[in-house]
Amino acid sequence: MIARASYPLLGLLIIAAIWEGSIRFFDIPPFVLPPLGQIAERIWTGRSEMIAGLSATLYEAGTGYVIGVAIGLLLAIAVSLSSLAERSVMPLFIAINSVPIVAYVPVSFVAFGLGAASKIAMVALTVGFTVFLSAVQGLKSVDPSAVNLLRSFGAGQMRIIWMFSLPAAMPIIVSGLRVSIVRAMIVAIVAEMLGAYDGLGRIIYEATQQVDFLRTWAAIAVASLASLVIYGVFVWCDRRLVWWK
Amino acid sequence: MKPSVWLPPLLVTALFLVCWEIFGHLPMGRVKVVPPVSAIAMDIIHNHQLLLRAMLHTLTEAMVGFAAGAAFGFLMGVLFAEVRILERMFFPVFIISQTIPVVAFGALVVIWFGNGMLSKVVIAFYLTFFPVTVHTHRGLLSVEQQRIDLLRSFAASRWTLFWRLRLPFALPTIMTSLILGSSLSLVGAIVGEWFGDTKGLGIMLVQAMYVENMVRLWSIIVACGVIGVGLYAVLRFVQTRWIWWGNET
Repeated sequence: MIARASYPLLGLLIIAAIWEGSIRFFDIPPFVLPPLGQIAERIWTGRSEMIAGLSATLYEAGTGYVIGVAIGLLLAIAVSLSSLAERSVMPLFIAINSVPIVAYVPVSFVAFGLGAASKIAMVALTVGFTVFLSAVQGLKSVDPSAVNLLRSFGAGQMRIIWMFSLPAAMPIIVSGLRVSIVRAMIVAIVAEMLGAYDGLGRIIYEATQQVDFLRTWAAIAVASLASLVIYGVFVWCDRRLVWWK
Repeated sequence: MKPSVWLPPLLVTALFLVCWEIFGHLPMGRVKVVPPVSAIAMDIIHNHQLLLRAMLHTLTEAMVGFAAGAAFGFLMGVLFAEVRILERMFFPVFIISQTIPVVAFGALVVIWFGNGMLSKVVIAFYLTFFPVTVHTHRGLLSVEQQRIDLLRSFAASRWTLFWRLRLPFALPTIMTSLILGSSLSLVGAIVGEWFGDTKGLGIMLVQAMYVENMVRLWSIIVACGVIGVGLYAVLRFVQTRWIWWGNET
């Protein structure tokens, strides 16, 4: 265990050493690449601002995530109930999804204003699509002979989905949920960068406009650490809860 | 194709557009967030030259970044797959770094590389090379040990092993990541333009948003979609035409 973890740690140390070393060696000005210590220090001195920004971003990403997962799952179940429904709506959904998600951000701003609602809508849209597509794929991949067996014992369609198809599709759905975590954070931050009253994206954008690079780096570091922690917690829960892979 | 195949999606899409059109004509608030489809279509037809020029600009940025990112990502993937010590030290770090909201660096990149095309290319490059590296690495290592042993028993060199076995085996997986990367590179180019540019779809989006020109906003969204579908179609064509032995879809 220790040996397994030591290699990545060594890798991290080497990257940190290259980072710090190249600053000294090539005399890189702090506005291009600030020393790691200074970034950490800036996070600490600006901690109240960082916490406020982080909680705003987490609120948007979290709310949007929950809404998106609910809509995505429900739609996927509805669509998988009939193959006619699936064939009818899939091309439309894929067309909507083929537009880069960031292009919808301005529409969301005009519709929901610059506050949290517009970011929640964007996150819900992104997460909804990701979860929907993975759930449809997962529900389709279940063993049809098992479904037929259950049906021959008189199980209804909803019952089959609830008792068999959903659990069987879980590994694929979970991987969609996992990818969605990172996407939710990214979309929330990117939307904030275009216009917001608070949030980490707002701090990043503002700091860049004010040519305060240390603050930009600090906000990016906080955002990265936050996604990393949430992602880690999710992976840990996944191993505990979805053990039937 | 039988009508039962193409008729339902066609009907649903037509119904969707009709509902949109009716919804667009309803009297709603100060700004019409959802203008009628017909108005959007007219705007696209009237301003097709403007839109085409912006599309070309954004597409160029995305494609240059995509090509560079795909090439670099492929090399990194091969490096990780072939050199164990690098893999053990840096691959976990690499995976972890995927959870970082990379687009947040967009603002910094524009400062480093200026307002021109280069900064968007760099962002598109950055977004593309992550998935390509990960998939190349995974694809190259997914070859069954038995096959490797068989070729080894015929005294195949490392190069032959790579060229004849690992690479063909990995190509379908790599292709999947290229499809993913192409849409990410488009996102990179659009977001990159937000932070400073004069032409391109990204900046047109922002300008239309500021003046609340919803019809134009939707025209640009359609243009973005056309590029997205186009890139996907081209890569899918390449996939089905030349890399048909796929183990992934």
